[in-house]
Amino acid sequence: DRQTLLAVLQFLRRSNLRESEEILRREARLLGDDLGAAALSPAGAGALGGPDGDAGSIVGEALLSRVTAAPAIAIGGSVATVASSSPGLAAVAAVPPGKGGARAGSAGSFRLSDKLLFYANAFAVGGGVVVEDQPDVSAVLSAYNQQGDPTLYEEYYSGLKHFIECSLDCHRAELSQLFYPLFVHMYLELVYNQHESEAKSFFERFHGDQECYYQDDLRVLSSLTKKEHMKGNETMLDFRTSKFVLRISRDSYQLLKRHLQEKQNNQIWNIVQEHLYIDIFDGMPRSKQQIDAMVGSLAGEAKREANKAKVFFGLLKEPEFDVPLDDEDEEGENEEGKPKKKKPKKDSVGSKSKKQDPNAPPQNRIPLPELKDSDKLDKVMNMKEAAKRVRLGPECLPSICFYTFLNAYQGLTAVDITDDSSMIVGGFADSTVRVWSLTPKKLRSVKTAADLSLIDKESDDVLERIMDEKTASELKILYGHSGPVYGTSFSPDRNYLLSCSEDGTVRLWSLQTFTCLVGYKGHNYPVWDTQFSPYGYYFVSGGHDRVARLWATDHYQPLRIFAGHLADVTSTRFHPNSNYIATGSADRTVRLWDVLNGNCVRIFTGHKGPIHSLAFSPNGRFLATGATDGRVLLWDIGHGLMVGELKGHTDTVYALRFSRDGEILASGSMDNTVRLWDAVKAFEDLETDDFTTATGHINLPENSQDLLLGTYMTKSTPVVHLHFTRRNLLLAAGAYSSQ
Amino acid sequence: MEAAKMASPKSAPKDAQVMAQILKDMGITEYEPRVINQMLEFAYRYVTTILEDAKIYSSHAKKPSVDADDVRLAIQCRTDQAFTSPPPRDFLLDIARQKNQTPLPLIKPYSGPRLPPDRYCLTAPNYRLKSLQKKVSSSAGRITVPRLSVGAVSSRPSTPTLGTPSAQTVSVSTKVGTPVSLTGQRFTVQIPSSQAAVKSATPTTPTVQNVLINPSLIGPKNILITTNMVSSQNTSNEANTLKRKHEDDDDYDNL
Repeated sequence: DRQTLLAVLQFLRRSNLRESEEILRREARLLGDDLGAAALSPAGAGALGGPDGDAGSIVGEALLSRVTAAPAIAIGGSVATVASSSPGLAAVAAVPPGKGGARAGSAGSFRLSDKLLFYANAFAVGGGVVVEDQPDVSAVLSAYNQQGDPTLYEEYYSGLKHFIECSLDCHRAELSQLFYPLFVHMYLELVYNQHESEAKSFFERFHGDQECYYQDDLRVLSSLTKKEHMKGNETMLDFRTSKFVLRISRDSYQLLKRHLQEKQNNQIWNIVQEHLYIDIFDGMPRSKQQIDAMVGSLAGEAKREANKAKVFFGLLKEPEFDVPLDDEDEEGENEEGKPKKKKPKKDSVGSKSKKQDPNAPPQNRIPLPELKDSDKLDKVMNMKEAAKRVRLGPECLPSICFYTFLNAYQGLTAVDITDDSSMIVGGFADSTVRVWSLTPKKLRSVKTAADLSLIDKESDDVLERIMDEKTASELKILYGHSGPVYGTSFSPDRNYLLSCSEDGTVRLWSLQTFTCLVGYKGHNYPVWDTQFSPYGYYFVSGGHDRVARLWATDHYQPLRIFAGHLADVTSTRFHPNSNYIATGSADRTVRLWDVLNGNCVRIFTGHKGPIHSLAFSPNGRFLATGATDGRVLLWDIGHGLMVGELKGHTDTVYALRFSRDGEILASGSMDNTVRLWDAVKAFEDLETDDFTTATGHINLPENSQDLLLGTYMTKSTPVVHLHFTRRNLLLAAGAYSSQ
Repeated sequence: MEAAKMASPKSAPKDAQVMAQILKDMGITEYEPRVINQMLEFAYRYVTTILEDAKIYSSHAKKPSVDADDVRLAIQCRTDQAFTSPPPRDFLLDIARQKNQTPLPLIKPYSGPRLPPDRYCLTAPNYRLKSLQKKVSSSAGRITVPRLSVGAVSSRPSTPTLGTPSAQTVSVSTKVGTPVSLTGQRFTVQIPSSQAAVKSATPTTPTVQNVLINPSLIGPKNILITTNMVSSQNTSNEANTLKRKHEDDDDYDNL
């Protein structure tokens, strides 16, 4: 109590209102002994008449505002102190009748007095409960101080704005990064403490100053005007509790700190300390262009330590075995690493070197399924096809074959093509999953049990005989989901198909019987994307609950949960070595997770919209990401840096794919085009010196035009999926939408 | 999405105009025109539900009129029921930490199609065969006819073809997933009931479902049976209760 009064007295002294100060001292001595609830409530009720008449009093208002601010955030016992001081202050307000000069211009004046009445009422009614325990006054005071005066927030902000605009050019770009997080946090604080009109006017005044890429967030923010609105919005709550990361050079930071600490009302400094994390680096301040490339995510940029963990981005060794020269002549496989002296030539795709790639994960880092005979046959086929592969490059662009889904009525939501390009699956908004065969060979399912009993099991072609010719067809429809199917994925051995949907389940379908085998329930919210691991058995799914989950087909619960994103996980992809998973999210960051222990090993910021497509390069070193802002960003996984930015698309990039040897990156977008980019050129000359790796920023050359090899327009079909066949023919898929 | 074709703004009712403005404020520029109707319906339904709840709460608290607190309480309760939001971040981080501590399980080699235990799969039969209602057993001179109880022979693609009653004892072990053939099934044909089936199963005589009878089998025995059936139909019902136990046993044998 005493300390509260002391604080008030200090304020009065500062504001040079001696008279009120004296009065308060007198009252304080009167009230100091009287802590009984009964005495307070009549005093409170009696003093109510005062504030009404003195609404114009400057002192009273300022005090009242502080008092109302404090109760708004007060928890439990701290209400007691405030209640005891409010009647005292109300008495003070009542006493100086002479202060008629109204600060009527102040926007919130009437509201504040209303608020006090309301709170005083509440306390008077619940008077018995009011003062029972003496709360920690310092706690109240600290909450009190941080709150600051809501009406002064606009002044604080414009003060900072003025300072930054007057600072040196080289520092201005970096310091401007402060605007957005400060704006949002101040606005949220006003809303949280229920100063609705101040919040509105604050928003009106300053939201136009923010960067254009934050406009979507600001629109959402403008709809949050009450504390109750915030409760349901998980993203905003996360934003409020997590720290926004800013990367500022030491010089700029010193400048800022000096300025903020010398001002008396260092409200902004408090907010900076509480809500922002400033990652300081030594070196030249960054230019606006550099900053613009990296900012944009919901939580600022990534801290440097976030991208320092070692990532094994190399590929796993393929088991070596010989490519038979003739089809009948199948040699056995040799052990990995042992030299083989037989006639059949070794396959060039398998690694020749016996040394372990230092960047590749150990073979048994994560358990992987062993190769079955059918898998080995598949690999042999793969190698044969690889031998006939077309070498792509700027002079030799791939041919593009476009599969258009007709009569989909905007219902096509997911597409996948098998690795050998034999089947295509479409997930639709009517919850069906449709599988088509892309080869002349029709889709056959296994015969029914009755028919199977009739076949001769000893015959050589038993695997052919178990297939039912009568129901063979080009198209098979799979029913089972109860909501639009947002993601589909074939297994590498073409036995299984995964589909994930808005109903929160991921379903595993058998492509032998074309029936559903398992429904994996875990996400209770729409699942936006799913993918099988390149070796089968594992699969990853990401959804609206902001986590990605790793599953194995024989476990009904997920094996790993990757939590950390602030908003929905919209895209999930496995690394070619199956040890890492990349997730793109609506919070505009891309994270790389380690399958072994679930840790987030990389955070990539830079996109200005939710990320919808991810693609790893075949050598595992680079990641390409596409988002609703139409840009394709290229990342070096090992160093954790952005190495390229491909501008050109004008709408969301929904499909990204590297060619089989990584020479060309194809991107497909909602603007009805497919663009081809020169990946070799984009990734060459990566001189990452110590400075770059230490500070994490790189000068991006403006070479999007040079890297663009071709733009191919469809009539009016957004491109949803891209796939390079084993011979480097580019397949694309989309649904025709008549406009 | 088709571009918004607003009903001429002059004639659109005020509510529709407000809704269109809300959509515009939230940044949604392209939407089908019927979205406004859907939104209005939703808004009406939601608000009336809340207000009705608020009325109940306020009358429970014996207040003379509904006030803001009642509405607030009503909103809170409804939000927990109807609009669940994803779990908060710290909770997710906590369970993630727990889940990620366990090492990845080793993969058993040579284990065929790697699927979860059967109770978590959707591969079990989703139907059971109904027990046969009656046998021709009242008269001593009944013709012992074999009873046909056939398992899953339906060719509906959505039901798994593994749904033979005895399939549950046989695990699918081959990687191709060949269904087990119907060996070891007792094939019994009950002609009267099948007769009923042929007559497009009358509900009073419950029969075996999915029975595929070769009509030629029935032919020569037709005349003999019908006379029996006529006489036995009256007694069939009480015979049923007497015979039910056996029939159930038989059925379970097959299962």
